[in-house]
Amino acid sequence: MTVTETRAILVGPETPDARTGPSAQRRRARRLSIVRSISMLTIAIVAAIPLYYVVISAFKTDGDMRQSPLGLPNPITFDNIGAALAQGDIWMAFGNSTMITVGSIAVQLLVGSMAAYAMIIGSGRLTLLIGIVLAIAFAIPLQATLVPQYRLLAGVGLTDSILGVIVLYSSGAVFCYFLIVGYMRTLPVELIEAPRIDGAGPWRIYWTIILPLCRPILITVIVFQVMSIWNDFLIPKVYLSSPANETIILQVYNAVGQFTTNWPLFMATTVIALIPIFLFFVFAQKWIVGGLMAGSVKG
Amino acid sequence: MTRSAFSPTVRRPGRLNRSNQIAATWFLMPILAIFTILLLIPLGQSALWSFTELNLYTGEMTFVGVDNYVTVFTDPALLTGVWFTLGFAILNTVIVTVLAIPLAVVLNNAFFGRDFSRALLFFLGVPSLAILGLVWRYIFSPLDSGVINSVLNSVGLQSLPWLADADLARIAVVFVGIWAAVGWHITLYLAYLQAIPADLYEQATVDGASPRQQFFNVTLPQLIPAITVSTFLLITAGLRVYDLPFTLTGGGPGYATNTITQSIIERGVGQSDFGVGSALAVLFAIATLIVIVGQMRLSNSVARRYS
Repeated sequence: MTVTETRAILVGPETPDARTGPSAQRRRARRLSIVRSISMLTIAIVAAIPLYYVVISAFKTDGDMRQSPLGLPNPITFDNIGAALAQGDIWMAFGNSTMITVGSIAVQLLVGSMAAYAMIIGSGRLTLLIGIVLAIAFAIPLQATLVPQYRLLAGVGLTDSILGVIVLYSSGAVFCYFLIVGYMRTLPVELIEAPRIDGAGPWRIYWTIILPLCRPILITVIVFQVMSIWNDFLIPKVYLSSPANETIILQVYNAVGQFTTNWPLFMATTVIALIPIFLFFVFAQKWIVGGLMAGSVKG
Repeated sequence: MTRSAFSPTVRRPGRLNRSNQIAATWFLMPILAIFTILLLIPLGQSALWSFTELNLYTGEMTFVGVDNYVTVFTDPALLTGVWFTLGFAILNTVIVTVLAIPLAVVLNNAFFGRDFSRALLFFLGVPSLAILGLVWRYIFSPLDSGVINSVLNSVGLQSLPWLADADLARIAVVFVGIWAAVGWHITLYLAYLQAIPADLYEQATVDGASPRQQFFNVTLPQLIPAITVSTFLLITAGLRVYDLPFTLTGGGPGYATNTITQSIIERGVGQSDFGVGSALAVLFAIATLIVIVGQMRLSNSVARRYS
């Protein structure tokens, strides 16, 4: 690849040149697009080799996996997938992950959107003060409060408990609040004022008018929080110790210790564990991309 | 209806406004309760405990001054963790940014296989980092059966002791971190690239700007907000890193890839050494704050220079 070509791939089509006719330009543009295709597809496919490796290894025998790590399965075996599914706890782990994710997000959304609504209807010193307090809360890293939080939950018997983990994740409401309040501010004030003058109470206005109108931002928040809570490792690792409470991520982690000699089984467990997040990704991709933009533009 | 149609949108002081204030206070109760119990009090406790030592048998707390902080800066395991975390955060931020911007610019053009490449690169960052770390642990296995070593062997090269060697293990963690993050940040930059008005490029072309000049004088300045957001996310995530090194190397060999977060968990929760755990937590919070403020200042001054 020449220097000009490399540069052209980076910055887009060349500027029209007086010496070259339109057909020469078209040829050049076409060549560029072919170079882009080849280079980007190569990069993407090479980067995806580890995922390919996980999937093929799940269908291999132990010997095959060691002998030709990157070759296609020969012979193809479904024993690993079968063995992984036969472990009763994988379903329990899926159930735990689902309970934790759904429960935490429900609490976060409710608490975060209520606070955002309060900041819209309230005014003056109160909201200013709370706004500053929540901005500080947003900047506190989890690590800074981890040790006292652990002792607090241990003190009330909420360690090794799914409820305890949901309580911990409820502090994510601060993040939800920030995304939601930015969106709520764009709604016209009349939406709150008009029904209020007609006699509707604040709770009714919030629940039946404002919240449904916030659906786009609520979906964005849900998508981001599903990925961060479902995938989280730190809090489950610290707080959940008994096998009955394990999340799916923790289960995969613990599987490595058990199966040091059985890597194909580990790969099969990984494949099964990744299926829900893969489906979620396919379904939610457009909201993720939209949310990256919306969330960032508003700060 | 007529009343609401004529009602001014400007907020008037009065009965309605007061009732709104009362309602607002009620709606803020849950988040304030969560903030106080889960964040404010624990943060204060972290600060307080960092100057004390707890006797586990008597439950007595004694004031020990800055002893715990001295421990943090003299204990080799903790110190290695602090340095590795800082190094990881910086390298991850710089390399991901340098890779993601050009890749996003290329992916912003039309070509065969574009959507496929975008989706594939993006998906790499979707699975849990903990799971990715475990997969890479097998790929980087120092044994001959490790994927990378068997590829090296097949082309006639010697196996390398990947995760068993301190420097190679550090390189491996940084590499996997970049691999997992770059797709996300490409997507973020793409979102901003698509918002750059096309007439800026048309104007530049009319003015005779070369593609290189267009990149540096149009694309890059227009991407400043994106760079601000992306580097902020990268550096804060880098400082908080825990699951990737923990699952890939377990913090080893020795303490080579130990992280601040892993130290806080091991000391503060695992060994009930609340004093040292809290001292680490306080230093961590301060470091995060410095980085956030510094990054905000830097991007403000860059933005001013370009506008």
